[in-house]
Amino acid sequence: MREEILGIAEIAVRHAERQGAEQAEAFVASTRSFTIEVENNSIKSAAERCDSGCGIRCVIDSRIGFAYVTTIREEDVRAAVERAISLAHVSVPDPDFGSLPSASGGYPVVERLYDRAMANLSSEEAADIVTRMVDATKESLSDYKYAIEAQMRTSRGGAGIVNSLGIEAYYEGTTGYIYSAPTIKTEDEQTSSSEYELARALREFDPEKVGREAAAAVIANLGGRRIENDKMPVVFGPIAVGSVLGGGFGGAVNAEEVQFGRSYVADALGQQIASEHLTIVDDALSPGEVSSRPFDGEGVPSRRIMLLEQGVLKSLLHNSYTAQKDQVENTAHASRSSYSSPPRIAPSNLIVQPGRGGLMDLVEEVGRGILCRDTGDRPNMTTGDLSALVMEGYYFENGEIRYPVKSTLIGINMLDLLRRVILVGGDVRRTSEAITPSIVVEQAQITSG
Amino acid sequence: MYHQGYTDRHSLFKAIITSGVCDRLVILMEDLAQIAVESALDAGASFADVRIENTHSTVIEMVNGVTRRSMSAHLRGAGVRAFIDGAWAFAQTTELTPEGMRGVGESATKLALAVRPLVAERFEIDGPTFRAKEFISVRRPFPDVPMEEKMEFVKQIDMQAREFDERVSNARTVYGELWSELYVANSLGTSVYIENSLPRIISSITAREGANRQRAYRSVGVKGGFEMMMEEDAQTVGERAARTAVDLLSSVAVRGGVYDVVMDPVLNGVMVHEAFGHACEADGWPAHTTVLEDKLGQSVGPEWLNISDDPTLDCARGSYPYDWEGTKTRKRILVKDGILTEILHSLETASRLGMESNGAARAESYAHVPIPRMSNTFMEPGDWDVDELIEDTRHGLLLCRFNYGYTNPSMGHFMFQAQYGYVIKKGEIGQMVRDVSLSGLILEVLSKIDAVGRDFELDAGTCGKNGQWVPDMSGGPHARATEVPVGGM
Repeated sequence: MREEILGIAEIAVRHAERQGAEQAEAFVASTRSFTIEVENNSIKSAAERCDSGCGIRCVIDSRIGFAYVTTIREEDVRAAVERAISLAHVSVPDPDFGSLPSASGGYPVVERLYDRAMANLSSEEAADIVTRMVDATKESLSDYKYAIEAQMRTSRGGAGIVNSLGIEAYYEGTTGYIYSAPTIKTEDEQTSSSEYELARALREFDPEKVGREAAAAVIANLGGRRIENDKMPVVFGPIAVGSVLGGGFGGAVNAEEVQFGRSYVADALGQQIASEHLTIVDDALSPGEVSSRPFDGEGVPSRRIMLLEQGVLKSLLHNSYTAQKDQVENTAHASRSSYSSPPRIAPSNLIVQPGRGGLMDLVEEVGRGILCRDTGDRPNMTTGDLSALVMEGYYFENGEIRYPVKSTLIGINMLDLLRRVILVGGDVRRTSEAITPSIVVEQAQITSG
Repeated sequence: MYHQGYTDRHSLFKAIITSGVCDRLVILMEDLAQIAVESALDAGASFADVRIENTHSTVIEMVNGVTRRSMSAHLRGAGVRAFIDGAWAFAQTTELTPEGMRGVGESATKLALAVRPLVAERFEIDGPTFRAKEFISVRRPFPDVPMEEKMEFVKQIDMQAREFDERVSNARTVYGELWSELYVANSLGTSVYIENSLPRIISSITAREGANRQRAYRSVGVKGGFEMMMEEDAQTVGERAARTAVDLLSSVAVRGGVYDVVMDPVLNGVMVHEAFGHACEADGWPAHTTVLEDKLGQSVGPEWLNISDDPTLDCARGSYPYDWEGTKTRKRILVKDGILTEILHSLETASRLGMESNGAARAESYAHVPIPRMSNTFMEPGDWDVDELIEDTRHGLLLCRFNYGYTNPSMGHFMFQAQYGYVIKKGEIGQMVRDVSLSGLILEVLSKIDAVGRDFELDAGTCGKNGQWVPDMSGGPHARATEVPVGGM
């Protein structure tokens, strides 16, 4: 696959140069994925997808055009190149654009990105894993009327980048996802929950554990109550931290947002913006992690970056454009979710350094407050104001969980949230947006009604 | 009128397909689709369908007068579903050749056969068949408009926003256009060709005064050609976003608490969409994942409340004549006089629930499976004059536009955030507030609506579900909800 992908990328770049591009870059990716889905407690559907395509970026006089096509046939790729060039011609020159990145030696070896067992998983084996997970959920829910939705998704693929300045890079990886979401009904209420795991290697999955934990979580959600409006401590579980810090902090340290004055952390580099309990790194080199990679979306070798060291903002996330604009070193955070996206900036593995203790130790230590397991909310990235629905969460008192809360919101500005972190747990887990333990925020406005 | 020139350049409908085997052989999309469906049936499927899509889209993004991301995309491929005894499988390909279509039909069926022994509920897929070719008629098709003219339009919106006020510190303008051809065929005999043409302009503004930074955005998205971007609301989108961002500099964060809330048409639309519309998608019935499961035919709100989903509205971004399964669409009256009367069906949900399919199955692209979705969703107007509604509220909040929203229909709760609002004091509009979040429970929220305005407005959006994003609209009149929890700092 390596030769085919780099070969087509090379053709794209050469064609762009012949068509008048001063610099060109082609990102070619080919992915095969498999999904199996459960509805109402049993398997119902499966899907196979093969997705190959090419994204091409062309530069003419600091004017940039991007095009992509959903095939890697030469004629389609050439047509995409020509569309990128026409777009560059009509664009407004960007005075801050310096150059595409150039080759700078070799690439780091990042271990365990590819797992043969995940890559070669058969539909029967996938069905078996999903069934074990669903059975484990069922087993714990035998006292209830339930309906379980579940899914397993695996993918394997290769991605390559070639540009006019000598970059030529390629790697292959696998990823997998298992998910169980039970809904239960009683006489007078209905509630649901979910649990999941993400992994690069099949052996990391524990379907029985995911199944059991999904069941435990949905049972814990029964009997939700509203609470009195008050200011109180909030314990964010790892999934909630993934949303609030992964999206809400990872997005705020995006150098492009900071340069444009659109981030709430603008002008704060080098300052103490968070509690000394909080240390956050972005590590694309971490072996076997789902967002690890030897190079970023522009083909720049990956690095480990200290973002927040004991509360001090040490670095932003850069791609080649923002690094040249600020005249700083490129942190290699050009991000591309697919060949169809022009490089943006995003964290790779955002890792919150753990402290000590499990979730219930934190609850016991805090005494009274809200434990937020999950929220779907993000802060306003410009003002930092966060108003987060407690999607799943509980009120606790005297160090013990009393009942789940419903229709309850947490209100706090992100800068206050960062400063008010008083405890960091040791219960690290991988979420879709961060690798993180639980954290405790000293005080936030709780509104329920 | 429909421009033939557009078809010649881009159409797959009468495309010249080249491949190693059949060099420059003219093959109709219909023939390719037939090959896929027949190969699935031959391999053992009891039902099969195929979507062949050819889509061109362009995005121009400008920040402070400089082009940041300009993108041109070409999406072309086919997705096939094979069904047997309650088991579904999906496969897709970009090889639009007889061999490619045969291969994808066979592999989908092979997978369906592998799934069949594992399914618990057996059912059949049945429904009405449709044969149609619906050409869209636009005055200025996107390829006929020079790229320079589109760039000029973006520059003009960008300039308009930046010149509005010196406190505008960052202006981001995004123009997007999407032209799509879709051919759907199935083994029941459906054969439908539809086209879509969607332009959109978004202005996203940051205003700054000292350390105080605020943001706002406005967008206009319709169904039509480039001529729709010459309409007044599209031409003024930069100025309107800039005005809100600058006004927000003198806003305050709202105090968290329980309020009587008047929602503007846009926010009301988001409420209807998030708090109710998603829970009306019929896939939640066989999956037992919607809190509305036992509510069909029952009261879900006051008798003056009517909620509709209508994909037949002219020029609306969420409109389509046939859905992604080839079913003819019609207006769906979800709530009539407070009673839940209709839900949003795919062929599967209509077959399983023994109801009439109503054309609500949508897919993001050929690489996705169609599932029940909303189109243009709104609360029908009532009889309150808007000024009287605000005056009658005495103490509360008037909340406007939105940042985002989401819902979990199986838990029964939702959340959405207004872009800005105003405190209502003694029946008059006062202090501006920002980023106001509202949450509530699906089964309770409609009963809290106690007054519905007689005005009406729809706003363009994009809705995500199961990882699929589709264009939609939502809206309604101003409406008041009593005792709603509002998040504050």
